[in-house]
Parts: sequence; structure tokens; C-alpha cells
Amino acid sequence: MKSVAPIQPHWLSKSLAGVVAGGLLSFAFVGLIVWFGPDGLNGTLTNSELLWKTQFNMWIIAPVWLVILSLTFLFKTGKQAWGYLLLASAVCFAMQVVFRSML
Amino acid sequence: MKVRADILRTYQTLHTWTGITTSLLLFIGFFAGALVMFAPEIDRWATSPEKHMPAIEAGQYDELLQKVLQAYPKAADNVTLHFDKSLSPVSWYEHGNGRGLALDEVKWHGTLNSDGELVTQLVPVNTLSAMLDMLHRTAGIIGEIDHHQAGIFVLGIAAFAYFIALVSGVIFLLPTLVKRFQSLRRDGERKRFWLDGHNLLGIASLPFHIVIAITVTVFAYHDLFYGGLSQLYGDKPLFPRNEPSKIERNLADLPKVSELVAKVEAHAPGYAVSYIRYGNLTKPIASASVGVVNEQQLMRGALNDYVFINPYTFEIASSSAAHPDQNIWAKLVSTFFSLHFGSYGGDLGRWAYFLMGLAGAGLFYSGNILWLEKRRNKGVKQTRSYKVMGALTVGVSLGALMGIATVFASNKWLTLMTESINQAYLFLYYMSFFSVVVSAFVYGPARTAIYGLKLLALLCVMVPVTSFIAAVIPGTDLWTPNSLEAVLVEVVSSLFGLFFWLLSKHIVNRALQNEPGSIWYLKESTMTSEISARHSV
Repeated sequence: MKSVAPIQPHWLSKSLAGVVAGGLLSFAFVGLIVWFGPDGLNGTLTNSELLWKTQFNMWIIAPVWLVILSLTFLFKTGKQAWGYLLLASAVCFAMQVVFRSML
Repeated sequence: MKVRADILRTYQTLHTWTGITTSLLLFIGFFAGALVMFAPEIDRWATSPEKHMPAIEAGQYDELLQKVLQAYPKAADNVTLHFDKSLSPVSWYEHGNGRGLALDEVKWHGTLNSDGELVTQLVPVNTLSAMLDMLHRTAGIIGEIDHHQAGIFVLGIAAFAYFIALVSGVIFLLPTLVKRFQSLRRDGERKRFWLDGHNLLGIASLPFHIVIAITVTVFAYHDLFYGGLSQLYGDKPLFPRNEPSKIERNLADLPKVSELVAKVEAHAPGYAVSYIRYGNLTKPIASASVGVVNEQQLMRGALNDYVFINPYTFEIASSSAAHPDQNIWAKLVSTFFSLHFGSYGGDLGRWAYFLMGLAGAGLFYSGNILWLEKRRNKGVKQTRSYKVMGALTVGVSLGALMGIATVFASNKWLTLMTESINQAYLFLYYMSFFSVVVSAFVYGPARTAIYGLKLLALLCVMVPVTSFIAAVIPGTDLWTPNSLEAVLVEVVSSLFGLFFWLLSKHIVNRALQNEPGSIWYLKESTMTSEISARHSV
């Protein structure tokens, strides 16, 4: 069995990664739900549906961000935290661009 | 469940830091929040019964509204009909608008007398519950950023840390979760009792705390979230845009109140209308916001759901009330709000939230005690951080309690002494708060806690004592509670008094053990002998 390298503390860089890159990722991820989830923006929404769906979209940013932030400290190093979170955000944003041009 | 050692260590450190930096802010937020669950009852208790005007029959509201609009044309801009019998049947603002904590608002209250004539009086708006709500949302942090209270943003940041504290607490409890949950060890080390208590409280109320952490983040940063969301939406609008109406409105065309009530209650079956707030009745933008109550539903507001309706055409602009055509998103959003406000399940729900709020305050306090016990060195010599945190823990938590109790104890007396009672509330709160904090640093946590808790207990008991004085000495202008709710405010205050008195005795016992280095340690032997002499009698 391979021995696993222990997690480095890297408090500052991980905290910043969780707040900044994690924040970006939560918006990027919620963007997918906004456009392609149920009652997405591409469909036709009634006024009442748009009114409440937008509030729902705003609400779910918070739990997504908080969960990402609290799990960021599981990354081995601060650098990895920044790297993976930014990469994941880029993937989510890219998916939005691609899917939106297809639909 | 097995968790890797490095993960455990990481999250243990996170829990410590996120906990110790936010616990005292959260203590104030939770304690004040628990009280705010009974905001209407507290306001009713706080004002003289003379300020409330008698209720009228359901059929008389049309006549009342017509007479108000005739005699006070300004009321057409913003007038509220209350169907809740504990409030004056009609009211409108002379000064102010009822948003946030404004100290100098004045309202007209009105009713119809037995001859059907309009009777009105000007009443300064009492802000006792609004002040508690301010403490709840800002932890008492003063200052404004861009017209928002700065404390809201501070508590928003605290909510991030608080969420991390919850996740990390669960992670490092996982390996021993089941075992710990079943045991509250009273024997052995004192630290263990606090540790088991902290774990038990934390795990048992975890869902509540997760809800609070998430909702507080949203309440603090919704502007930021909507800003980011509008970027994601691109050129799509966030919200539906309604063309403003250009139709001129005339009071003569205003449909009857009873028709509006019937329309709203038909729209949301199972709900009862609690108030109608008419706005701009003589302008094209005429509106009515209707508060509706159904205890079987998770309601969007702290006390009710909202129906926004055109008072002339009865066209519903939006509604948070559960109705047959309600979409799932409306239901979910109302649920989020409701889970924070505890606006479901009626009075039982409110009592449960009250108790969970108090338990939350206990959780944060016990966390601080654990932090201190862990850092305590053997002997009298302690680190600076230990001493500062010890004084802050006692000073801030006791200070907030003292501030709130002072306001409650002095409330009825203040009405005799000053016109500007709302300013007096704030002055008394902050004066009490800072006195206790300073005392904790100057005289130490032990003495501050022992004498402070006794004083706190006396202040709590002052509440029913004041009513007793009002009852036996006529002509004081003080008043006795005139409703079950107001009596309960005084009963709960007495129970708090009893609890704080017992707590003080407990700390005396703790201090008598005189464990060097503990925050309850009393340096001067004269002090301990004085206390022990008094308590051995």
C-alpha cells in the first residue's frame, strides 16, 4: 500500500482559495442550474415562475459556496486548492458557453 | 467511522479558530433572536394598554377606512388595517415608514367608538422589539456601510466561519459520534462535562444550525449574489418587468375592504388576513400588501405570508401564500425563509425556536469554556490570550444579557420619565454592556460573573415587581399586564432571573474550590473568605 502524503495546513492560501475560487466555482456551478436545470432560462417562464426561480437561484449560491469552502481544506496544498477550484470553474463556465450556443 | 489523522487534525484546528472568533457574536445574535420570536408579545407588553385602541367588528372596516381617508387625506399614501385584535384597527405613519430601527417614528392609531365615530391618537412607535431585532441581526455592532448596518455584514462573515465550524465539528466527531452522543459524563474531569455537553448540543441541533448559517449568509449578502447572478443571466432580466400602470385612481372607485379580504382568502384557501397595508391609493401605482396567516404552512415572513394585490382591480402581482397554482420555486423560497424565522407550526413552533435559540447561545458559550480549559496552564501564571479571552467570554455574554435585562426592567419606568424612550433603550443597553465588559477586565471574570449574575437576576425580577407595584399603588401611570401574552413575558423574565441566580451560586461554589489559574479563580483570599462566610450561613 502506498503511503499517503499528509494534508498541509496552508491556512491562508486555502482559505482564500475557498472564498475567492470557491466563490467563483459556486457561481459557475449555479450558472449551469440557472440555464440547464429545471425551469431554466432557455425555456419559457411565466412571470411568476421567473420571479421565484431567480430567488431560488440566488438562495442556492450560499449553500454551494459554504460547502465548497468547508471542504477546500481537504486539498493537499494551497496550490492544489486554487488549481482544482479554478479548473472546475473554468469547466463549468465553458459548459455554459458550449451548451448555450447549441441550444 | 474511521477518519484519517491528518484530516482530523486539520478540522480540529479549523473548528477551534472559526469557533473562537465568532462565538461571542453568535451568542448575542442567538439570544436576541430567541427573544425576537415573541416580538409582537414583547411590544404589546412594552406599551401601555391605553395606546392600543379597541377592536371593531369585521363589518366595520369599510366605514373605518372611509372615515380615515376623509379626515386624514395623507393616510391614502400608506395606511394599514389590522385584523389582529391585539392591535389598533387602523394605523398610519405621521413620521417614518416602519423600516429598520428608527427612533423617532410616530404613528396615528384609530378606531371607531360605539357611536361609529372615528377616534384617533398619535402614538410614538415603541422600538423595544426592533432594538432586539437589531441586536439579533448585528450583534450590536454600530455603524453603517452604504445604508446597511455594518453588523449585518460582520455577522455574514461570521456565518461563513460558523458553517466551517459546523462541518469541522461533525468531521472530527465522526470517529466517536455514536459513543459520545449517548454519554454526558458528569464524573471525572470538569472539562469532560463541558465537552460532552457541547457535543450533545451541537449534534442534536445540527440541522437548525446548518439552516441558520446558510440563511444568515443569504440575508447578509443577497445583493452580492443577485449581482453575480445577473452576470450569469446575461441579457435576460432577473425579474419580470411590469409596465407601470398609468390609470388614474380615485378613492370613490375603491372596492370594499370585505371584497378584498374575500378575494385574498379565496386565492389562498386556509389563510386568514391579518392586515392590509394600502399604498398610494390616489395614484396610478396604488397597491395593497396583505399579510395572511396559516399556521399549517411554512410562511415567507416571520409572522405571515404576503399577497401583493391591486386594491382597485384585485389583480395579484405576487403571492408567497400557498395556493393551488403556486409553483415549486415559490414554495422552496418561502420554506428557506420560514426555516430561519420559525414561522410554521404556530405558537409551538415559536417556543421550539425560542428554546433552540437559547440552546445555540449555550453551545457557543460552552465552546469558549472548552477553549479556555484547553489552554489553561497549571498554576496561577497564564498566557495573555487566555486572560483576554476569559474576560471577553464573561464580559461580552454577560454584558449583552445585562443590557437586554436593563432595558426590560426599566421599560415601564422610562415611560414615566422620558418622551424619547427609544433613545433611552439604546443608551441603557450599551452602557450596561460596556460596564460589564470593562468590569470583566478590571475585576476579573469570576467577580464580574458572581456579582453580575446576581444583578442580572434582580433586573429580571424587576419586571414582575414593577407590575406588582403598579397593582398595589394606584395612580403611578405604570401598568399591569392585560393579556396572557404579556403575563408570559413577565413569567419568562422571572424564570430567567431564577436561572441566573442559581448560576451565580454555582459560580460561587466553583470559585470556592479556588483552582489556581482558572478564570473563576479569586486572587484575594479576603474575597473568598468573605464569600464563603456568607454562603456557609
